[in-house]
Amino acid sequence: MRVLSTVRFTLLRMLRNYIVLLLLLIVPIVLISLFSLILSGAVTDTGEPYLKQPAVSLVLCFQLFGGSTVMYMIHSELFTEHRARMQMLPISLTMYAFSIMLCGVVYSVMLGVILMTFTQFVLGVIWEHWLWTIYLITLMAILSSVVYLVFMLAVKVYKTAERLSEVYGIGFILLAGLFFPMPDHAFFRFMGSYGNPLTLSTIAIHEMSMNNTSKAWFAANILLAATIILFLVMMVVGRRRFMRDRV
Amino acid sequence: MTVFKFSLKRSFSNKTNLLLLTLFPIAFIFFPEGEYWPVLPYGYQYFGIVLLFISIRLTTIILVDRAKGVVKRLAVAPISYGSYLCQNLLAFSVILVMQCAIVVYGGVLLGVELYQPHWLMLLYVSFSFTSLAIALAWISIFRSKESAFLIYMSLVTLLAILGGLLMPLQIFPEALIRIAVLFPTYWLNQGMSWIASEGPVGDFILINGVLWLYTIIFMILGSTRKIH
Repeated sequence: MRVLSTVRFTLLRMLRNYIVLLLLLIVPIVLISLFSLILSGAVTDTGEPYLKQPAVSLVLCFQLFGGSTVMYMIHSELFTEHRARMQMLPISLTMYAFSIMLCGVVYSVMLGVILMTFTQFVLGVIWEHWLWTIYLITLMAILSSVVYLVFMLAVKVYKTAERLSEVYGIGFILLAGLFFPMPDHAFFRFMGSYGNPLTLSTIAIHEMSMNNTSKAWFAANILLAATIILFLVMMVVGRRRFMRDRV
Repeated sequence: MTVFKFSLKRSFSNKTNLLLLTLFPIAFIFFPEGEYWPVLPYGYQYFGIVLLFISIRLTTIILVDRAKGVVKRLAVAPISYGSYLCQNLLAFSVILVMQCAIVVYGGVLLGVELYQPHWLMLLYVSFSFTSLAIALAWISIFRSKESAFLIYMSLVTLLAILGGLLMPLQIFPEALIRIAVLFPTYWLNQGMSWIASEGPVGDFILINGVLWLYTIIFMILGSTRKIH
């Protein structure tokens, strides 16, 4: 368990990356404040504020990009800059990789929770089931770091992996129909509902607030299953990549 | 025209750029139409954001030149900084104008309802110069390519929302509508609604004039030579 002593530094390094903080925390806070200013307290027929829907989507959308820190750190620690240094250390590299991943997920979830707190206490959006929402945010964060790592490990050039990860983030936002309605076609209908992590978690949160527990768990479990499968894929691809790059 | 030629080559040599500059605008032709809003199909409504995005990707060439010390070498070469800048900007604007042409006339070919395609082309060209000038001014205050690009993208999102490109301006509160006038995206949006409503030509000239005013201001801000 020597790895535990590195956790502090991993977290510090993540916190000091001000660009990530700006993009994943300040930008969503500014956006949601802007939305609240624009919608200025309008409510739907059922009495729910219009702001609720954008707030849920925004918190979840930015989780799609949460894996970037993990991808960047694992790449520099285990594959390029610090690789030789890390192999000298008397720690298990697998555990080290997991610790980086875990830190990244915790960091990403923390940003999500800060955003939730901000929307609840400053803008007055009521989040009914905090624990359930945090569970879904965590699932999304794990899924995004796993997907990002699969990209990084499967593609040779790091820049291509970065582009792919952007396609993953922006693509699913587009497919969820947040920018404009998608055409009515079987593929888009699937990708706008059960084939899309963003809509799956939105459905889960929405159903839970309507007290449809079984439907909510169903959506969340699909997300969990996808995460587990991709995690196994990541393990296999990652081991092969690490051995192949061995000097 | 050596700089111009190489600027064109460098813009297309990057694989991501190649995709962005060719397939991206074509994809935008096929975006669906909105029901009540926007007046033009979604692809055309959002095309202004794409222009802002592509301009920053193109102008980072100048930023890279500065970071790598190419500008320093140019200072002793028999070429003035003005000519270097102009040739680069000319190459970028050729690319941007080509993209506008692809989107507008491609749409006409496929029979998308664009009301007055030639005026729309003019509006896009005006806006692409504005976005080029803004990007030029923006990169002049940065040293790192990544941070310049990422911070700019978050700024673009704000510009797009406040200018009414992502949401109809009608639902904005009074104060925000007044502030919106300050943003170039607002004028692009006004131009697009003018094209759909076919108002007097004077209004359209005013809209383009404002865009060109922004172009001149930001061009002046961004054109100073900086040697680190």
